[in-house]
Amino acid sequence: MKRSLVMVLALAILAATSVSAPAQSKDTLTVALISIIDTLDPHMHFERVGILVNINMFDSLLHKNVKLEYEPSLATSWKALSDTVWEFKLRKGVRFHNGDTMTAEDVKYSFDRVTEPGKEKKRSPQYGNVRAIKEVRIVNPETIHIVTDKPFPLLLERLVFFPIVPKQHLERVGDQAFGESATVGTGPWKLLEYKRGHHIRLEAFDQHWRGKPAFKHLTIRGIPEVATQVAELKTGGVDIIRNVSADLVPDLKAHPQTSISSAPILRTHYVHLDMRTEPFNKKLVRQAANYAIDREAIVQKMMAGFGRVVPTVVHPAAFGYDASVTPYAYDPKKAKELLAQAGYPNGVDITLHSNFVEFRSVFEVITQMLTEVGIRTNARMWDPGPAWNKFNVGEGKATHGYYGSWGYYSVFDADAILHPLYHTEPGGWVGKWYVRVEGLDQLIDQARSTVDQAVRKRTYSQIQRLIKEEAPSIFLFHQFDTLGVSKRVEYQARGDEWLWLFDAKPKR
Amino acid sequence: MTALLVRRVIRLLVVCLGVSLVTFSILHASGDPVSLVMPEAPEADRVVLRQALGLDDPLAIQFLRFFGNVATGNFGNSFFHRTPALSLVLERMPTTLTLTMLAMALALAVAVPVGIYSAVRRNSLVDHVATVAVFLGQSMPVFWTGIMLILLFAVQWRLLPVSGWESWSAVVLPAITLGTFSAPLLLRIVRSSMLEVVNLDYVRTARAKGVSEWMVILRHALKNAALPLVTVAGLQFGLLLGGAVITESVFAVPGVGRLIVSSIRQLDFPVVQAAVFFLAMIIVGVNFVVDMLYIYLNPQIRVR
Repeated sequence: MKRSLVMVLALAILAATSVSAPAQSKDTLTVALISIIDTLDPHMHFERVGILVNINMFDSLLHKNVKLEYEPSLATSWKALSDTVWEFKLRKGVRFHNGDTMTAEDVKYSFDRVTEPGKEKKRSPQYGNVRAIKEVRIVNPETIHIVTDKPFPLLLERLVFFPIVPKQHLERVGDQAFGESATVGTGPWKLLEYKRGHHIRLEAFDQHWRGKPAFKHLTIRGIPEVATQVAELKTGGVDIIRNVSADLVPDLKAHPQTSISSAPILRTHYVHLDMRTEPFNKKLVRQAANYAIDREAIVQKMMAGFGRVVPTVVHPAAFGYDASVTPYAYDPKKAKELLAQAGYPNGVDITLHSNFVEFRSVFEVITQMLTEVGIRTNARMWDPGPAWNKFNVGEGKATHGYYGSWGYYSVFDADAILHPLYHTEPGGWVGKWYVRVEGLDQLIDQARSTVDQAVRKRTYSQIQRLIKEEAPSIFLFHQFDTLGVSKRVEYQARGDEWLWLFDAKPKR
Repeated sequence: MTALLVRRVIRLLVVCLGVSLVTFSILHASGDPVSLVMPEAPEADRVVLRQALGLDDPLAIQFLRFFGNVATGNFGNSFFHRTPALSLVLERMPTTLTLTMLAMALALAVAVPVGIYSAVRRNSLVDHVATVAVFLGQSMPVFWTGIMLILLFAVQWRLLPVSGWESWSAVVLPAITLGTFSAPLLLRIVRSSMLEVVNLDYVRTARAKGVSEWMVILRHALKNAALPLVTVAGLQFGLLLGGAVITESVFAVPGVGRLIVSSIRQLDFPVVQAAVFFLAMIIVGVNFVVDMLYIYLNPQIRVR
C-alpha cells in the first residue's frame, strides 16, 4: 500500500513540475494531420497527408490562389502552341533551400524522374497523373516545352501539384536521403527536423521568391484520433485541424480559443446504382430513387449546413458544369408512381452498401427515405479498408449499389469524376462494374481527346443531361471542408482542401 | 538445460514460420494493393506495377521468396514509398517497448502491493475498494480511458500535455492508460494466489517459528504465489503490445502499433509482415524469459 502511495505521489510531483500544455511560441504555427507520411520525397507517394506537407516545401510550375484561379509560380507565363505542345516561361533567380539556383535542367529532370521515358517499370505512383507527357524540351534557359502524346486538357491542373526538385543535389545525395533528411525544394519553408510517423519541423526559407511567410516555424504533427486533435486545439497545442465533423462544429464554434473555417470542396456524394441487375436495370426505378431523397433536409439537418445539393455528380466548380441542368426534386408521390409503373406496385427489397463511416448517419437517412417510397432498403455498413475495396472495386459485388463519395483528386474538371465513376473500359475504376448507359463511354472519350474547351463544354452539357435522365446514381450533394482554427491564427479553408500555409497569419 | 534451450529455439523457429504464414495468407486474401497505390490508373499501368512488386507470381513462390528474404534480414520495401520496411519498424520499436514496459511496471507497482494487502486483510475496506476498482478497470475500454484522462488532466486541469512523445510529461497519460488495462487482472491473480498459500502448512510453520508477519508474507508466501503471477504477466505483455496499438492512436505516439494500423489500411504487405514478425519475436522472447523465471522460482521444474 505504501509503495502505491509513493507512486501516486511521484506522479503528482511529475505532473506538477511538467510545463502545462506546451505554450506555443508566437512565431510557430502547428498543424495536425492524421498521420505523418514516411517519405518527404514529393514524387514517390500519392497520399494527401504527404501532399499537404510537400506543397509548403516545394513549388510547382503553377499555383492556385484561395479563389482557385491559376497563378504564376515557377512558371511566369504559359500558352498552348498546338494541341500537344505547351510553352512555359520560367521564373528567373529562384533559389533552392541549399542555395542552388533553379534552372530549366531541374524542371526537365523533375518530369523525367516521374515519367522515366523509355523505361518499362515506373517507380513513381504519380506516373498515371502525367502519363500523357511524352517529353519535356529545354528551348533555352528560361523556356521549356511540354509535349504530350495526345491532346491533354488536364495538363494545367496536373501542374499545380508537380513539385520541382533540384537535379544536382538529388544526384549527389540519392533518393533515400532526399526523402528522409536532405529534402530540398524552392518552397516557403525548409526542413529542420523530420521524425517519421510523429512530426515534421520546418523553418521559413529567407530566400524564397515570394518573400518570407508570416510564421517563422511550421510544425506538422501526426495525431490520428479526432478527439485528441480537438483536445489539442482547445488547449493551444495545435492551431489547425482538418475534417471537423458536423457534430463537433457547435462545440468548436462556442469555445473561446477556437473557430471554424469552411469552404465548399469537390468531394461529391452519390449512391451508385448497380444497373446490371433488378430492380435498378430499370430506368424508372432509378429515377424513383432520385425523387425519394430530400437532399436539402439532409444537408441542413445532418451536415450542419456544410454541403450543397448538386444536380448530377458534376460539381459546380468543375470545368464543364452546366447550371441549366437542375437537381431532382424531392417528390415521394412521384417516386411511388414511377415504381408502380416499373412493375413494383408493392415496392421492392434491395441492399445498399457503404464504407463511408464518417457519414454513417447520412447513409441511414437515405436508406430510410428510400424505404418510405417502397424501395425497402437493407443498409450494410463496411469497415473502410481492404475487404471493402476488394468487394466494391476489385470484384464489383456491391449489388444493388453503394453510398460513397469521390474527391476528384482535386482536379477541377468533369472528367475527373465522370471517367472513374461511369466509363466502362476494363481498366477503369467502378464504372465497368455498375454502369450500363448507352453512348456514355463515347461521350466521355470525346471530351477527353480535345483541348478545345468550347467543344468539351458542349459535350459535358450533353453528358449531364444524359445522366440526369438515365440516373445511373442517386445524385446527392457535395461536401464542405471544415477546419478547426485557433483564434490566434487567421487562415481560410480552401476549396481544394490544400493547407497553403503561406497565407496563414498570426492574429493580433 | 541444454536440451531445454534447443527445444525452445526450435519452437521459436516454428512460431516464426507460422506467424509469417498466417500474416502472409490473410494479407494476400484481402485484396490488391496495386489498386490502392494507383486507384485511377489504367490496367496497363497496374500490370507494370504488379510485376515490379512481384505480385503476379503464384502465391507459393511469393511466400518462399518472402521467407527466404526474411532469413537474410530483408523484409522488402514499403509499397507506398519505397522505404525499407525493416527500418520503418525498427525505428518505431523502442517507443512501443518503452510504453509497454512502463505500463507493465506501473501495473505491477499497483497490483502487487494492493493484491497482497487485499489477500492478507481479506474483507477489509482496501480489499472491497480494490474489488470494485478491478471491475471498473476491466470494463473500461483502453480507448475510453485514454480520452477521459485527456479530458481531465490535459483539457480540464491543464496538468499534462494532450498528446505527443517528446517529454516525460507526455509519457505519463499513455502509460497510465495502458497500465489500467492490465493492472486489474494482475491484481486479482496476486490476491487469489496469495489466498491459496497463506494458509498452507509451511506458512503456518514459519509463523510458529516466530518469523515476523511481513517477513512470512513477503519471503515465504509471495515467492510461491509469484508463479502464476509471472505466467500471467508474461501473457499480459503480449496483450499490452496489442493495447499499445489503440493507446498509440489516442495519444499520437509514434510506435509500431500505429504503423501496423495504417499499413493494414493500405495493404502495405512488407511493412505489416515486418512489424508482426518483430512483435511475435518479442512475445516469444518474453515467454522464454518467463520459462527461465519459472525455473528460478520453482526448482521442481529443474529436477524434472
